[in-house]
Amino acid sequence: MTREEIIEKVKGTLAEEFEVDESVIQPEAVIYETLQLDSLSLVDLVAVVQYTFKVKIPAEELPTIKTFAQLYDYIESHVA
Amino acid sequence: MDNIQALIPQRPPIIMVDELTEADEEQALCQLTVREDNFFLQSDGTMAETGIIEHIAQSASAYAGHKALQGGAKVPPVGYIGEIKNFHLYQLPKVGDQLQTTIVMGPEAQGVTLLHGETLRNGKELVAKTQMKIFIAQE
Repeated sequence: MTREEIIEKVKGTLAEEFEVDESVIQPEAVIYETLQLDSLSLVDLVAVVQYTFKVKIPAEELPTIKTFAQLYDYIESHVA
Repeated sequence: MDNIQALIPQRPPIIMVDELTEADEEQALCQLTVREDNFFLQSDGTMAETGIIEHIAQSASAYAGHKALQGGAKVPPVGYIGEIKNFHLYQLPKVGDQLQTTIVMGPEAQGVTLLHGETLRNGKELVAKTQMKIFIAQE
């Protein structure tokens, strides 16, 4: 899977799950602000990544992923 | 397997799991027979929708309790339902029915776990399925 394919898939699935316009999902945008995540909805982000890409994000690595670009990096480096 | 009251914090009359029958690292199976004294029984002899949700939640609680005790805890953890997602109800169980619920633990983030629960009636008919977010309080 190419980075472009990852980006397109992330945008589509997150926009649908969190009911935001795909255009707000920009590489340097902060995920938590853009998707208005809270302590309950954060697990939805992890679930989307796990179920869509079969990539698990361990709890200790979650704080290191702040922007969408960092999320793309993480998926790209862990996807099979 | 373990005594159910050793696995969950709930006590009569609101115990909605009889037994945790199977458990491995990712999923568990619990069962409940709907009896005449069930707390969620309605006047028409069916169990209320809220009772099914409680049964699934307590099945998840029993699974968490089983894992905690296996990990060395002395008492089961207290869990809270944070959210119920995509709840689908197909039928209401009746007195005498045996419910079997499979709990599959999903991703976890900051103490919140997303799980899937699916309940069958008498081993074959789908009763309900749902996702739940649960928060397990740490000791």
